[in-house]
Amino acid sequence: MHIYTCEDGFENMMCCIYAAWEGALVSGHDNVRLVREPVEQVTFFDEYIHVDYDKDKFEKVVRSIRNKISTEAFYYVYYASLSAEEDALDSIYRFLVEGFKKGALVIYQYTVPAVSRIMEIRRNVGNEACHFKEFARFNSLDNKLYVCHLEPKNNVISIVGQHFADRMPSEYWLIIDDNRSIAVVHSKDEENYLRVLTEDEMNSLKRTEFMEDEYTKMWRTFFDAIAIKQRENYACQRNLFPIWMRKHTTEFMK
Amino acid sequence: MFEIDSGLTTNEKLEILADAAKYDVACTSSGVDRKGKKGALGNSVSSGICHSFAADGRCISLLKVLMTNHCVYDCKYCINRCSNDVVRTAFEPDELCRLVIEFYKRNYIEGLFLSSGVLKNPAYTMEKMCETLLLLRTKYRFNGYIHVKTIPGAPDELISAAGYLADRISVNMELPTAESLSRLAPNKSFKTILDPMGKITDTIASHRVAIGKGARMERSDINKHLTNSIFNKDNIKTQLSGDEQIRLGDYRIKNSLSTDNTFLPSAGDNSSLTRAFAPAGQSTQIIIGATPETDLTLIKTTQQLYQHFDLKRVFYSAYIPLNDDNELPSLDTSVPLLREHRLYQADWLLRFYGFRAEELLSEDRPNFNEKLDPKCDWALRHLGMFPVELQTASYDLLLRIPGIGPKSAKRIVTSRRYGKLDYDSLKKMGVVLKRAHYFIMCNGRMMYNTPIEERYISQRLIEDNNKENWQISHQNEKYTQMSLFTDFKMEAGV
Repeated sequence: MHIYTCEDGFENMMCCIYAAWEGALVSGHDNVRLVREPVEQVTFFDEYIHVDYDKDKFEKVVRSIRNKISTEAFYYVYYASLSAEEDALDSIYRFLVEGFKKGALVIYQYTVPAVSRIMEIRRNVGNEACHFKEFARFNSLDNKLYVCHLEPKNNVISIVGQHFADRMPSEYWLIIDDNRSIAVVHSKDEENYLRVLTEDEMNSLKRTEFMEDEYTKMWRTFFDAIAIKQRENYACQRNLFPIWMRKHTTEFMK
Repeated sequence: MFEIDSGLTTNEKLEILADAAKYDVACTSSGVDRKGKKGALGNSVSSGICHSFAADGRCISLLKVLMTNHCVYDCKYCINRCSNDVVRTAFEPDELCRLVIEFYKRNYIEGLFLSSGVLKNPAYTMEKMCETLLLLRTKYRFNGYIHVKTIPGAPDELISAAGYLADRISVNMELPTAESLSRLAPNKSFKTILDPMGKITDTIASHRVAIGKGARMERSDINKHLTNSIFNKDNIKTQLSGDEQIRLGDYRIKNSLSTDNTFLPSAGDNSSLTRAFAPAGQSTQIIIGATPETDLTLIKTTQQLYQHFDLKRVFYSAYIPLNDDNELPSLDTSVPLLREHRLYQADWLLRFYGFRAEELLSEDRPNFNEKLDPKCDWALRHLGMFPVELQTASYDLLLRIPGIGPKSAKRIVTSRRYGKLDYDSLKKMGVVLKRAHYFIMCNGRMMYNTPIEERYISQRLIEDNNKENWQISHQNEKYTQMSLFTDFKMEAGV
C-alpha cells in the first residue's frame, strides 16, 4: 500500500489527491491511502510518500472537481478539508473516486458509504461553525477593537469570520483560533484576511480575554435574571450548549 | 420623563426588567434574511441564531426586557400586576439603545425583544417603545433583529409605527377563550387583542403584495408537497364554517366584512426609513394550565391563528404560579412542563408534517397522551396503514412515520432514486430506528420480527419514552448521592 501524506491546508490536500490519483492509476484506488501530517502511527509494510504544494496540480484538481462533478461537490470537499477528523482527507479521496465516476448526481446518493461519510463530515464542520457563530464572544479594548477567542475542533474560524464581516462591517475586530494560532482580522469597511500569529502576539492577545467592563457585568446580570427558577434544567442547557464550547464565553467565565 | 426611582443604575434596572420579562416565551430571532450594510450594525438570518442557553435550558437570542414594569392593569396571572408590591423601574430610551448596541457588538444577543407593562395608559407606553425603536434604527443605525410586543389598547398609528421599525410584532393572546380572558385579565378583552392582530395581518399582507411577494407569509418548503397541510389554500377555505367550538376564523371574517378599513394607518414620519412592515411576521403566546381549556381547544385555536391570522408562530407558556388568587390554581401547582412539550410537538406536526388539529385530537379524546408523543399516538391509532414500504412510500406518508422527520424524509426520497435503501443507510440519514422500526419496511422486510399489534407496540414505545418523559416533567428536581459523612454526620475512623 502507498500512503500519501501532506501538510494540513486545503491547497496541500488537493495536491496530495493529485499525486495519489496518479499512483492509483498504476496500483488501483484500493491500494492508496491519504493521510494528513503529522502521521501518528507509522505502519511497517507501507510506503510513505510526502507530497508538496504545487500550484499547477492544485488548480487542476479544483478545476476538475468543479467541471466534472459540480460546484456543490466542491463545497463538500472544501468543508471536509476543514475537518479535524482523522480520515477527512481519505474520505475526500473516496468521495472523488465515486464523484468522477457518477458526475453531479453523486451528492444525492446517500446510500453509498463514501458519500454518506463526506456528508457526515461536512455536516459536522457546518454545525460547529454554526455553533461558534452563536457562542463567539467579543471583548472590547477601549470600545474600538473587539477581540474574540475560540478553540474550535475543526478549522472553522474563516467561516465564522465571514458571518461577522457581514454583521459588523464597520467595526474593527479579530477572531483568534487559540489552538491553531491563526486569526481572522477585520478592519473597518474592509475585507477580512487570515493571519498566522506569532507566539509573542498570541501571548499579548491572551490577556484580552480577562478584560472586564460594565457590559460584561451587565451581560452576566441579564444571563442570571432571565432564567426561570421553577423550570431549571441543567441537562437541557448542557445539551444545547456543550461544556467544551463554554471555555471562552463571558457568561460562564467567572 | 419617568417619574420614579431615578437612583437605580442600568445594571439594577436590567436585573429588574429582565426578571420581569422572563415569563414571555418568544425569544426567536428567525423569519427574516437581511444583509449587513456598511456604516450600520447588524444583519439578520432567517434561521435565527441563539446566543446562549440559560439555566432553564431556554435559548437566549434577544435581549428580552420590559420598557417598564409599572403597570396599571391587574391581570391575575402576571407578576407585574398593579396589586403586586414589587420594585418598579423603567429604562430611558437612550439607555436601552446603548445596551442593545454594546451587547450586540460583543455578540451576546441577536437583537432586542421589547415588551412593557402599561405605564399611565397604553398610548403613552407604546409611544415610549416606538421612540426607543426609532432611536435604535436611526441614531444608532441598528440593522439587527427587533421583536416588539404591542400593548393591548394602543392606538393604530403607534402599532403601525412599531411594525415598520421592528422585524416581528406580536400581540399576546394569553388565554385561548374570551371567558378565561375576562376572568383572569379584566382589563383586556378579546376585541382589544384580535382587532390589532387582524389589522396587523392585513397590513403585512398588503405590504407583501406591494413589494411583489405573495400575500401570505412564507412557510417551510415542505408544505408545498403535503396535500393535507394547514397552509394549503384549499384547506383554509373548506374549514371556515365547519368549526363549532372556536370562532376565531368567523370573528375574523365578520370583522373584515363589517368594517371598511382593516389596515393600520401608514406611519408618516417613518417613510424615510423605507423599511418593510414586520417582515418576520407576527406571533403570539398562550398561557396553558391557568384555565381549564383542553388541549383540543388550544391546538384548534393554534390552527386557526395560523390559517386566518397567518401567524408565523404560536408560543405556549406553561403556567407558573406566581400570585395567590382564588381565580388561579393554587401556588403549589406543579408547572405543566410535559403538557407544554406535547403542545409544542403538536405545533410542529401542524407546521412541518402536514397534520391537522382534528387528526390529532377529537371531542372524545380532548387531551394528549402524556406517555406518548402525538405522532406515535396517531400512528398507533392508524396501525392499518403500517408497516410502510420506504422504497415506494409517498412524501406525505413518510412524514407520518414516527422517527422520520422532514430532513430524513427528504433524504430518503432523493436517495432512493439511485439505489436500494437498507437499515444501515437509513440510520445514517437520521431516521430514529428506535421508534421507526415498528412502522417501516425496507425492500419488503421489517427490521425485526414485530407483530403489528397496538398493545404490543404502544407498550414498547411507552417503555422507550418513560425516561424522557420523566426528565421533562421533573426537570427542576435535583437529587444527589447520599453520603454517610455529609448526610449522617459520621466521622471517618482513623
